[in-house]
Amino acid sequence: MLTKTSPVLSDGTKISDLIYPDTREVQMRVLSDPEIYELEMEKIFGKTWVLLGHESEIPNANDFMVRDIGGDSVIVARDKNDEIHVTLNVCPHRGMRVALTDCGNAQIHKCIYHGWAFRPNGDFIGSPVKRECMHGTILPESELGLKKARSITYGGLIFATWNIDGPSFEEFLGDAKWYYDILFQRTDKGMEVLGPPQRFIVNANWKTAGEQSAADGFHTLTLHRWLGEVGNYAKKGAAEPDSDEPDLTPEMYGVEVSSPHGHALRCIDLARKIRRLTGLEPDELSIQEKLNALPPAGMTKDMVEQLARNLSEDQLKVLTSMPPQVGGMFPNILFGFVYIPQPDGSVVGSMTMHTYIPRGPNKLEFCNWIFAEKDAPQELREKMLKQTIQLFGTSGMVEQDDSDTWPHMTLSAKGAMGRHMTLKYQAVYETGKPDGWPGPGIVNEGFTKDDTQWHWWLYWNELMHAE
Amino acid sequence: MQQVQEQSPEATLGQYVPVGSAEYNAILTFMYEEAALLDQLRLNEWGQRLATDLIYTAPLRHTRLNSDHAKSFVRTVQHFHDDYRSVMGRILRLSGKSAWAEDPPSRTRRLVTNLLVRETSNADEFEVTSYVLLTRSRFSEHHVDVISCERQDLIRREADGGFKLARREILLDQSVLGTANLAVFL
Repeated sequence: MLTKTSPVLSDGTKISDLIYPDTREVQMRVLSDPEIYELEMEKIFGKTWVLLGHESEIPNANDFMVRDIGGDSVIVARDKNDEIHVTLNVCPHRGMRVALTDCGNAQIHKCIYHGWAFRPNGDFIGSPVKRECMHGTILPESELGLKKARSITYGGLIFATWNIDGPSFEEFLGDAKWYYDILFQRTDKGMEVLGPPQRFIVNANWKTAGEQSAADGFHTLTLHRWLGEVGNYAKKGAAEPDSDEPDLTPEMYGVEVSSPHGHALRCIDLARKIRRLTGLEPDELSIQEKLNALPPAGMTKDMVEQLARNLSEDQLKVLTSMPPQVGGMFPNILFGFVYIPQPDGSVVGSMTMHTYIPRGPNKLEFCNWIFAEKDAPQELREKMLKQTIQLFGTSGMVEQDDSDTWPHMTLSAKGAMGRHMTLKYQAVYETGKPDGWPGPGIVNEGFTKDDTQWHWWLYWNELMHAE
Repeated sequence: MQQVQEQSPEATLGQYVPVGSAEYNAILTFMYEEAALLDQLRLNEWGQRLATDLIYTAPLRHTRLNSDHAKSFVRTVQHFHDDYRSVMGRILRLSGKSAWAEDPPSRTRRLVTNLLVRETSNADEFEVTSYVLLTRSRFSEHHVDVISCERQDLIRREADGGFKLARREILLDQSVLGTANLAVFL
């Protein structure tokens, strides 16, 4: 059971003083306070499951890559038995980083400082000049290995945690797993990365990006308004009345799923897209006909037969009516599985995931992976790769505007007055689940609201209060 | 230049165009003008200097051992992966009403140096290497973002004697870029 003792900051403020459940507000001090940041490193990034990458990034025995769990560098390595291990990238001898490159292939990870050596699974092999026993005899060799994290793969995604005895990954996902399976477990062979992630620094607190990933729909209307002015949504189909005013509001309707663990998904109404992109009437189509008319983002008509083998009828129903398209996983993950209309009338999907790695109270590292299904034809993969790079990540025309916004929020949170202002999540759903909705979780229907993001903060609050 | 050869073994590198020659100076002038157009936010004029078969890319960089140096350039996922149409799309967005990442715009300087020009098998095309230091100042932040890179370009002489940019590969130095986005061209 979680013990509810509110951590006290050095000026006497309790964490519980900074979040107002009655009015659904969060004091902006949480976006800039260094003490809160340090608490988060222990209570959030030291406790939850953290996304590190995808197994397709290290396909061969002894491949490794260096990633981060909060402020800790870790080695993610595949051993000769094809098992993936996550170990702290700190030499247990004198604290030097053991792996100094971003990735590579190594049977032995040898520290360049005093030469202690480790296997891909972190086990201690030995130190130089064996007969002189540099590592002594006080501790057994079994205790001289790299510190091991607990890790799992899900849809090939590699997650790890330092919370060795904590909740399982499935418990962590909870009801949201039913929806994530629609994205990450839908095909026979699964998905793979199209390359290593883009990485860049944003001078912003990690939570500015984290809370937005918990399915902030509203910001699209204003921050991403260009999409309706000159972007992919600017050209209106014959079925829609001409208007000079950009209107992104149709994209705001659907179903939003939130979770007591801060996960969130926006399941956006697909009927309009089917009408607009195929000219067909979705209400008159079966599930299979809808899949053929507009295959899920990142799939082709040839691939859709796999879906029935991997998903339930209920999941297919959601996938063909209100597919999860954007959202996040607590604490610092965004996913986007979106349909991008092309000038020639075709559709190219984009499958992307980001993590926002905390790099201090005022800095995050934006890490962007781009995916395709392993079975996707080469031509589609190339289109998805270009399309995704042009819209998301470093130079992405959509996300450029996000990364320019979060630093301003972080600066605002530093002011003596500004830090007492609040983030507000007061657009409240009053709808609940639509009739016949087959999925689990906290579900609401209609125009986007703030519930998913508020639930993200409630879990943040719960973890900050846990022992 | 060793490194460049390793990057594209299929390319047959031609003779250097002598530094200071009329041809070299004409290309150098084209590069200086290009930097000025971008720094002065004259994006549409810059766009007119792009060839319609343009390929515009920026590989990721990885920290790798010296023995794996060639692998430090990653050309699968990249930071830019563009062509003429998509670059013109970026210009269209940046010229619109709601491109907040560059509105208000950054104040930039593109310092273009170390220009080397080689002939190719086509008399009207030149392989051009340049170093660029881009400084990017935003809002009232007194620190500037600095982006350093080498550009490997294919510059084409048009029938009217002017030049167009037909290919640009931007070899960035940072494995983790120190700027919040590439809403600016390099």
